[in-house]
Amino acid sequence: MKIDEPNDRQIRDALKQSLPSVNTELRRDLWPEILRREALRRLDTHSLAVPWYDWVLVGLSVAAFLAFPRLVLVFAYHL
Amino acid sequence: MDLLQRFVLGEIDAFETLVRQFQGDIYAWTVRIVRDPGTAEDLTAETLWRIYCARHKFRPDGNFGAWARRIATNLALDYLRRARPEQTLDADPAGAPPPDRLVQREMRQKIQQAFRRLPPKLQLAATLALVEEVPYDEIAAALGTSVGAVKVRVFRAIRILRKHLTQVGIKP
Repeated sequence: MKIDEPNDRQIRDALKQSLPSVNTELRRDLWPEILRREALRRLDTHSLAVPWYDWVLVGLSVAAFLAFPRLVLVFAYHL
Repeated sequence: MDLLQRFVLGEIDAFETLVRQFQGDIYAWTVRIVRDPGTAEDLTAETLWRIYCARHKFRPDGNFGAWARRIATNLALDYLRRARPEQTLDADPAGAPPPDRLVQREMRQKIQQAFRRLPPKLQLAATLALVEEVPYDEIAAALGTSVGAVKVRVFRAIRILRKHLTQVGIKP
């Protein structure tokens, strides 16, 4: 397998002529974009987070329902 | 503490320093593969974001540039997989060109189409090796593969390109 055969060079030249050269200079600073993404991520994490006292309330409710099943009816009545 | 150690620990200032240091390199590498400045900017931003999200996987004694380049290469490869085959690579100047330029343009378009029809991995290897003349070992490092594997990909790309071009009446 030889890459640099004359025919391969012709293919390479044809490609180089067909695919325009590109400017490799970055036109803008991408740091603000990273900060924006980080801010969005924090917002998402924050909005999805459930405070600890809500979990305690859920736990107490479940425990109460298990201990006194009739409470479910009272609870349902007040909903 | 070392900059890379601070980055791994999640210090945003350390990451900012790394972004400012490497964003140009990552963009230059990506744009050579995808050949579209806008797409390359988006992919560079995505690369930097993925680097930040995966910081705990990076070893502070490792080569940050090589790691970043590998992530960028994978993202560019994903883009090539998603890119529509009929997409052209350059914009021709407005207005009707003279007949000889028309023939040239047609030929260029056929070559571009044949190039776009290559499997993404071959297209990536061919772009970097043939068009950009990047050394094989650099391509291999970015792809996480061996030099031999890169050579095989380039060889296969040339063979497929020649076949496609012959089919459309171009004898390279």
